Amino acid sequence: MDDLEQQLRRAFQPEEPPADLTERILERTRSRRVAPRWMAAAASVLIAVSAGYGYRWHQGQTAKRELLMAFRITSTKLNHIQMQVVR
Amino acid sequence: MKIHSLVLIAATCALAAPPQQFKLNLDSIASKASNAVDLSLTGPTLKFAAKFLDASDPDEAGIKKLIDGLDGIYVKHFEFKRKNMWTQADLEPIRNQLRGPDWQRIVGVSSEDGETGEIYLRVQDGKNTGVAILEAEEDEVTVINIVGTINLDQLAELGGHFDIPKLKMPKDKTGK
Repeated sequence: MDDLEQQLRRAFQPEEPPADLTERILERTRSRRVAPRWMAAAASVLIAVSAGYGYRWHQGQTAKRELLMAFRITSTKLNHIQMQVVR
Repeated sequence: MKIHSLVLIAATCALAAPPQQFKLNLDSIASKASNAVDLSLTGPTLKFAAKFLDASDPDEAGIKKLIDGLDGIYVKHFEFKRKNMWTQADLEPIRNQLRGPDWQRIVGVSSEDGETGEIYLRVQDGKNTGVAILEAEEDEVTVINIVGTINLDQLAELGGHFDIPKLKMPKDKTGK
């Protein structure tokens, strides 16, 4: 039991951090920031381009749908008038 | 400075000018309609939409060719739940505009059950620069304005699309 107590005391004994700990942490953070910055920028550009392309595609599909509908109505009505002429 | 102002005013007027060749003023019947289609396809919209047409589809390829000389297509189509919810008088404001010197009525039919169909051509300097179609049934009214250089053969070609039999139109005065 004493032995266990001693082991626990040793384990929980406060220890002074190394003197260069702060500098090492800051250095790691700095070196890690370089990659995320350009990656974030690239991702932003990619998202913006994709969104722009997607929006343009959606607009194009809407315009095409409206164009086809306009032609369908026109064709139907011209045909209807023709049938009236023939009658 | 004055020139700049004039250019600005001219540009504003050009933007404010209606792209249609006549006013499709059908507000009197629009409120009574149970179903309405209002399409305003200007020249840039037509060109933009053409980029998305499938060249391998015969219908879409045909349309792509057709819209080449067009500056706009404007369609107003109304459907009514009951018959006689509109009168021919509702179409008079449009007919009055089409009685102008630039317009020629090439087809005009009416049936006993009140159905009417009219096709007008806009002719300027011997060239067809537009088409107006008025078609009315007991429970439907449609007004169409196709703006741009379109001859009767092209117009007839419209009938060849969407599984609708091809229309054979009479020759117009310009021989087109």
